[in-house]
Amino acid sequence: MIRYLVLYWTFFKQRIKVLMEYRVNFLIGASSTLFVQAASILSIWVVMRQVPTLNGWAMAEIWLVYGLLMLSKSINHMFADNLWTLGWDYVRTGNFDRLLVRPIDPLFHLLADRFCHDGIGHFVTGLILVVVSLVQLNVVVTPLKVIYMIITVVSGGAIFIALNLITGVSGFWVMDSTPVIRVVFEMHEFAKFPLSIYPKAISAVLTFLIPYGLASFYPASYVLGRDVPPTLALATPVVAALLVFISYRVWLFGLRHYSSTGS
Amino acid sequence: MSVIQTENLTKIFRVPQKDAGVRGAVKALFQPRYKDVTAVDGVTFSVEKGEVVGYIGLNGAGKSTTIKMLTGILVPSSGQVRVLGRDPHRERVANARQIGVVFGQRTQLWWDLALIESLNTIAKIYEMDPQRYDQLLEQFVDLLDLKDLLKVPVRNMSLGQKMRAELAATLIHEPEVVYLDEPTIGLDLIVKERMRAFIKQQNRETGTTVVLTTHDLGDIEELCQRVIIIDEGKLIYDGPLSAIKERFGKYRQITFEMARDLDGVDLPAGAEIVTQDGRSLVLRFDRTQTTASRVAAAVMEQFNVVDFSLAEPDLSMIVKQIYQGALHPEAV
Ligand SMILES: Nc1ncnc2c1ncn2[C@@H]1O[C@H](COP(=O)(O)OP(=O)(O)OP(=O)(O)O)[C@@H](O)[C@H]1O
Ligand SMILES: [Mg+2]
Repeated sequence: MIRYLVLYWTFFKQRIKVLMEYRVNFLIGASSTLFVQAASILSIWVVMRQVPTLNGWAMAEIWLVYGLLMLSKSINHMFADNLWTLGWDYVRTGNFDRLLVRPIDPLFHLLADRFCHDGIGHFVTGLILVVVSLVQLNVVVTPLKVIYMIITVVSGGAIFIALNLITGVSGFWVMDSTPVIRVVFEMHEFAKFPLSIYPKAISAVLTFLIPYGLASFYPASYVLGRDVPPTLALATPVVAALLVFISYRVWLFGLRHYSSTGS
Repeated sequence: MSVIQTENLTKIFRVPQKDAGVRGAVKALFQPRYKDVTAVDGVTFSVEKGEVVGYIGLNGAGKSTTIKMLTGILVPSSGQVRVLGRDPHRERVANARQIGVVFGQRTQLWWDLALIESLNTIAKIYEMDPQRYDQLLEQFVDLLDLKDLLKVPVRNMSLGQKMRAELAATLIHEPEVVYLDEPTIGLDLIVKERMRAFIKQQNRETGTTVVLTTHDLGDIEELCQRVIIIDEGKLIYDGPLSAIKERFGKYRQITFEMARDLDGVDLPAGAEIVTQDGRSLVLRFDRTQTTASRVAAAVMEQFNVVDFSLAEPDLSMIVKQIYQGALHPEAV
C-alpha cells in the first residue's frame, strides 16, 4: 500500500514535469474546464431565476446536489481519466505491453500513468458550489456532516471510476472504447439535479443500476434534512465498494483476453 | 534448474476476417467471421542460466509471440511455460521483477521525459538500492555513451540513441533474464557494435540469461552459442550455432550480372544454381569441392559477365535452406 502511494507520488511528479513542458496546453486545459463549468452553471442560474423552485427544490439546494456530484466526478477525472484511452492509446498500439512487464499492478500503472489536471477545475467548481449552497441555506455544518460528505464524495468518485472501468474494459476488444464508456458515463448528467423531478424509471436507474444518484441527490437530501430513505443516503460507500469489486473482476477478465498486437 | 522452460507452448489467435471495401467492413460488423492463426505451435525448449540464445525465423514465424508468452504479456492457448520456476502470466508481478524486455519497435521510456527522469522512475518501480543505482548508472552511461543524452527527452532522440537508452532502461535493475526482440533493427554498424558489446559484457559479468530475436547474423555470431529456429510456429532446430555454420558455412554464394539473357550454363562439380532470372544468375558452391575463382572462370568463359559479387553465407541464406528442408537427411 505504502509502496503504491510512494509510486503514485513518483508518477505524479513526472506527470507535472511533462505538463510543465507543455505549459501552454496546461494553461488552456485548466482554464477551459473552468469556462465550461462556469457556462453550464450560468445556464442553470438563468433558468432557475425564472422558476424559483424545481419540484420543491430551491436553487441553493440544487447547487448542493450539483456540487456533490461535481466533486465525485472530479476525483474520477483527476485520477482515472486514462481509462478513456485504454483501447485507443494502449491496446490498439500495443503500448499496453509495457505495463504488463513491470512489477506493479497494471491497473494501477494505467491510472497512475496520467494524472489529469483538468479535473482540478471540476474539483474547485464543485467545492465552491457546495460551500455557497451550505452558506446560503444556513445549514449547521457539524463535524459529522463534514465527515459524511467527505466519505460520500470519495465513494461517489469510486462509483464513477468503477463504472468507467467496467465499460472501459471493452477497449480490450473494440479499440475505441470511448463511445461505450460514454453511454453509461453521460447518465451522470441526470444526477446533477434532484432525482425527484424525473419519471420513476429514470430515478430508479440512477439509484439502483447506474447509481450516480447515490453521489448527489441522496446525500444532499440527507444533509439538508429532506425526506429520503436513510438506507439509500448511507448506502453510498457500500455500493461503491461492491462496484469496485465487480469492476476489478471485469478488468481481470479483460486482461486475460488481451492479445497484444502483431509487432 | 533451467531458467526458462517451455513445453508444447502454443498460441492461437482468433483473427477477424474482413473483405475489402466498405461493404466488407459492414458485413464483418454484422456477420463476423474468424480465422484461427496458430502463431506458435507446440514449442518445447529450455534455457539454462547464463546462456545467450538466438531465437530466429522468418517474418511471422512466431518469435515475438513466443517472447510475449515468456514475459507474461500473453496467456498461452495451451502448453506450459516456466520462468525461474514461475508461471509468468499468473505470477506476473513477481516474474516482472526478474526480467527485462526490449521490443525493438517500441519504447518503455516516458516519451516526454528526459532520459534521466525515466531511469530514476524505473529505479523506483524496481525498488533499487539508491547506491547500487548510482553505481550502475555511472557504468551504463559510460558503456553506452549516454552522457549527452541524459537530459534529452526520448521524443527528441534518434533511433540509435533511443535504442541505447532503451537498453540501459531494461538492464538497470539487474534482471536475471533479458528478452531482446530485434534490438538492433535499423541501427548503424557502430551502434550495433556498441549494443552487442554491452549485452556481452552484462552476460559475462552478471550471468544474465539472454533470449534474442534478430534478422541479423552479426548479432547471432557475436553473441549466441546456441540458436533455436522456428518456422510457421514450429521449432525446427535447436542446437549450437557452430553445428549449423559447419554444415552450411561450407557454401558460398556468387551473383553474376550478364550482358545478355542466358539460357543454359555448364558448371564445375560442387557448384549449383540457386536462382536464375533473366540476366542475373546466383550460384552456390561447396568450398571443399571447388573454389570461387574456378566457378567464376567457368561462367566467364561461357558468358559476357558485366559484374559479379561473392557473398558470405548469411543467416537468412542458411535459414532459408533449413526451411527448405535441408536439415532432413534425405534432402542433403
Ligand atoms: N495480436 C495478434 N493478433 C492476431 N494475430 C497475431 C497477433 N500477433 C501476431 N499474430 C500473428 O501470429 C504470427 C506470428 O507473429 P509474430 O509477431 O510472433 O512473428 P515474428 O516471428 O515476431 O515475426 P517478425 O520477424 O516479422 O517480427 C503472424 O502470422 C501474425 O500475423
Ligand atoms: Mg517480431
